[in-house]
Amino acid sequence: MSKFPKKSLLFLMLALAAILALAACGGDNGGGDSIKVGAIFDLTGPTADVGTPYADGIRAYIKWANENGGIEGRQIDLVSADYAYKVDQAEQLYSQYTAQDNVVVFQGWGTGDTEALRGRIADDAVPFMSASYSAALKDPGEAPYNFMIGTTYSDQCIIAVQWAMEQTGGTPTVALLHHDSPFGLSPYEDCQAFGASKGVTVIEIPMPGGATDFTAELTQVQDAGADFIVIQNVSSPAATLVKDVARLGLDTQVVCLNWCTDELFISLAGDAAEGVVGASPFAFPSGDAAGLKEISDFAAKNEDDFGVHYIQGWTTMSVMAEGIRQVIVNGDEVTGPNIRAALEGLSNFDTGGITIPLTFSGSDHAGNKALRLSQVEGGQWVEFTDYIEAGK
Amino acid sequence: MESGIFHTTYEKDMALRRTPVMRWRIILALTAVLIFPFLADGYQLTLANQIGIAAIGAIGLNILTGFTGQISLGQGAFMAVGAYSAGLLMTRMGLPWWLTIPIACVITAVVGALFGIPSLRLKGLYLAIATLAAQQIIEWLITHWTGLTGGVEALVLPSPKLFGIRLNTDFNFYWVILLFLIITIIFAVNLFRTKIGRAFIAIRDQDIAAEVMGVNIFRYKLLAFATSSFFVGLSGALLAHYRGIVNYERFTIETSIFYLAVVIIGGLGSVSGSIYGAIFMTLLPAVLTNIGRALGDTMPGLAGVLPFVQQAVFGITIILFLVFEPEGIAKIWRDIKDYFRLWPFSY
Repeated sequence: MSKFPKKSLLFLMLALAAILALAACGGDNGGGDSIKVGAIFDLTGPTADVGTPYADGIRAYIKWANENGGIEGRQIDLVSADYAYKVDQAEQLYSQYTAQDNVVVFQGWGTGDTEALRGRIADDAVPFMSASYSAALKDPGEAPYNFMIGTTYSDQCIIAVQWAMEQTGGTPTVALLHHDSPFGLSPYEDCQAFGASKGVTVIEIPMPGGATDFTAELTQVQDAGADFIVIQNVSSPAATLVKDVARLGLDTQVVCLNWCTDELFISLAGDAAEGVVGASPFAFPSGDAAGLKEISDFAAKNEDDFGVHYIQGWTTMSVMAEGIRQVIVNGDEVTGPNIRAALEGLSNFDTGGITIPLTFSGSDHAGNKALRLSQVEGGQWVEFTDYIEAGK
Repeated sequence: MESGIFHTTYEKDMALRRTPVMRWRIILALTAVLIFPFLADGYQLTLANQIGIAAIGAIGLNILTGFTGQISLGQGAFMAVGAYSAGLLMTRMGLPWWLTIPIACVITAVVGALFGIPSLRLKGLYLAIATLAAQQIIEWLITHWTGLTGGVEALVLPSPKLFGIRLNTDFNFYWVILLFLIITIIFAVNLFRTKIGRAFIAIRDQDIAAEVMGVNIFRYKLLAFATSSFFVGLSGALLAHYRGIVNYERFTIETSIFYLAVVIIGGLGSVSGSIYGAIFMTLLPAVLTNIGRALGDTMPGLAGVLPFVQQAVFGITIILFLVFEPEGIAKIWRDIKDYFRLWPFSY
């Protein structure tokens, strides 16, 4: 019998228990006047490629705001952690931040965890923004505390179909190639219904997770005679797909929805990215929007990568901060219901030109109704349309 | 001075609680879980509820893998069957929530037995692949049988109510989970004192010898699959009612592997081990996050790499556990008890 390892294991367990007890007691810091913001980020999970810059953007905004006097003089206190895209972890962190840290607002990330939490969010009355633009979250009747800063996936897909119709001057066939998840399939139903009303056929083809070759899916695209491919997926698989399109010599036009319209997509896809069209609800770093300057200055100062998802995270947090600011200015207490009311009162809120002016209401929490289309030219996204609204 | 436990009658030898110390320990544990929710905050209750649901699922898996020796990689899918059955019975057929739970368990048991049929011919790694197929088939059916399950869209359940009180809050649902966990524990502990339970263990230890002794292997293997899936379905159904939302993303192969890790770390073939494993596997990431948070506050430079360190520590801890105590936490606990029984005069 070896005695040593067992004793050290016993010690290990005791140490773990002690640390747990310590950790459970800790977590009470920051002044009583600060505003507590909770956040979960994907820094190590399957969407970490786009999740990391988004998280950096949120953190950067908070740092910037605190350096510039906070929100009406009150500092923002962020509690956040990586949840690796796991719903269980998201639930743990959410309940820790609401129960122990008393956060008043929350920044989420994925579609799966945002949907899993939405009942709890409504119970706790915590205004919640996430990077999921699933149209299922825009109805305040079902998700009264969820707010969306980006154009819904449904609207993005409809705009892509509208553009496809303009290009062909007729009724093209559009294939929606999507991540095989609620996130991926989210735009299909609305987009298909819109297409059907215009005589456009929209088909959906799932992209299996972790695939390194999409020949089979592209064969389906060819068999269906699709003229356009709309990708609802993150940058890495999207880049693999357009490389396969180039390799197979297809002349199908590819349109990326917002999660692959970024710098990473171009750097991964290389030459194959040329000519790909992207839906961009947010301004690119190269754009001339007035609001970009403070972000780029701050990013340069902190040596952060200044990309489109960084801008997206920053902007999302800035809208949340605006809701909080209005509550303070009105002399109300900073609570979930008050912030919700303030956000619902935002009308034509200017994000410094990074998005179209945002308008929320008591019956609609999708504040962003339009986006611009851009195209990859010489390894750069170049916007080539003005803001387009779905259905117009 | 005590030098061991000796039973002088068969009744004593077969009793569930063989010593007064055991009885006291159970009373102590019961008191602790009864007092706990009144002292805990929402975060601790969430963790406790996750542990409770994981413990029920792990006991289910342990009946199959730990006691009968049939490895299963279909745990996630069977939980999904339980969760979707409970959800659909409630939303489509309007059944009350408490009725959906037993029906969901029975449905899962039937599905489990169905996918257990290959176990007659397949053993070990081959059975692992067959159950992996079950995982894939059920996942595919859920995401593609849109008419029934709603496909990849989340299934939203109305809140379970009892006498007008909403149950799916952390505090209220704690009691629901606790009740079902106690029933599960009592059933599982007693199962292995019966003829059926003994047959399961005989199959695990040597299936050919078991058959020679007159154990109908096919029947008992299927029974093991059904019994195991019954409880796995229970944990799925509880999860559905607790969260009020069901989505297939929660029940992927990762879930199956998580539960295998729970029973292996807790202790294969041990009911209490399943609970220890559930506690360990649920608390470890939470503890790591909290340590990370404490460190991040004191050493801001570390914040950037912490998430990766946490992932690595998670893996290393599990490996160390398996290397130093392959029989799991249940064995460690037994060793500690043995050590203190003779303390300070061990020999």
